[in-house]
Amino acid sequence: MAEDNIALVFPAFISDYRDDPSLSVPAFPEIFREYLEKAAAFTQVDLLSFHPQTNPMLDDELRNQYITYVYGCSCAEVLMRSGVRPVMTAGYSMGIYAALFTSGSVSFETGLLFIQKAYEAIRKCLSGVHYGMCGVIGLTEKDIRDIAGQYKLNLVIANRNSDHSFTLAGSSFHINVFIVKAHEEGALHARSLGVTIPYHTNLLAPAARDLYETVFSADVHSPEIPLISLLNQELITDAERAREEVVNNIFTPFNWLATQKQMFLSGIGVLTECGPSLSLRRNSKFIPGAGKFVPWNALLD
Amino acid sequence: MAKITENTRNEVREAVIAFFAEECEADTSQIHDHTSIIKDLDGDSLMFLELIEVFKKRYNLDIELKTIGKYAVKHPVQTIGQLIEMQLLIIEHENRLLELDK
Repeated sequence: MAEDNIALVFPAFISDYRDDPSLSVPAFPEIFREYLEKAAAFTQVDLLSFHPQTNPMLDDELRNQYITYVYGCSCAEVLMRSGVRPVMTAGYSMGIYAALFTSGSVSFETGLLFIQKAYEAIRKCLSGVHYGMCGVIGLTEKDIRDIAGQYKLNLVIANRNSDHSFTLAGSSFHINVFIVKAHEEGALHARSLGVTIPYHTNLLAPAARDLYETVFSADVHSPEIPLISLLNQELITDAERAREEVVNNIFTPFNWLATQKQMFLSGIGVLTECGPSLSLRRNSKFIPGAGKFVPWNALLD
Repeated sequence: MAKITENTRNEVREAVIAFFAEECEADTSQIHDHTSIIKDLDGDSLMFLELIEVFKKRYNLDIELKTIGKYAVKHPVQTIGQLIEMQLLIIEHENRLLELDK
């Protein structure tokens, strides 16, 4: 496995710590604590009371995002200290910030700043309106568009995980109607993602404009480890493109399926998810010629 | 309509158990007909989707996922035994699966 080209993938939000592999990695707790303390000091948000079982902070979108960032950065740090040399990084949705940090494009604090400013800008532009997202498995894109058309639901396909697995965004009312209708139409699974922000939709274009100033005045370097864009599958190797990606990522749909295909085509043999679960892994099994998708701690063996 | 032989039945059973053993890091000897997919194995719908794709390829099945989804709403699957029976029905009836309820 050490001979394979390795890519590190960073999740957007943690939804579960049940299979947390960090428990078996002696170096993890110390590094995680160090990053957590830095994050708490920088953001002035109570993050130090975090505990994966007793206080996982899953219901607080901003704190969950900070913890996911800290977790991802910590995994990558443990891996790189142990000699793992990734050749590419990828940030799944809001996982982009941890990917940028690990790629050497931004400092740990700049990553936190982007999370904070993006969240503030998004909240400002969505004030008063209730939005949501849902995951749907077992329907095709055509099935989804047919349901949306039939019931006049204004929904956006924010991400394609596979040909039968999608993430949708829209008003919480339309999302809830869709979930009911999707089950009636034969979806194997359709469930709210428990977020109140319609990430990766044009509804967030005003927030992206607000974020632009922060991103383009921040210290951003060319990534030392190339970062793949989930928006258009290009490799990002310069600072300007990294900045653009952070801004565009807010309001542009992404395609995880196409990104994985491109990663495997470009010679990546092993993907590893720098998070406590393997939620992204199963989708890769539907890709012909796909490499391995392993838990991050497996790279330490 | 495919004929389900004893051989097919055994093949499906072995494949289902081997699949969940690998996916859920469980011992095959611990997986039985009454094993709950969610409670005992922590299985989920992506695993179900993956398993369907495995059988679609292996038996060259002509069936839409949403047909299986509609059938599953009326006949929820909770255990390994129920899942094996559903896979056998899928292999046997393919896209005519919903006609079983008429």
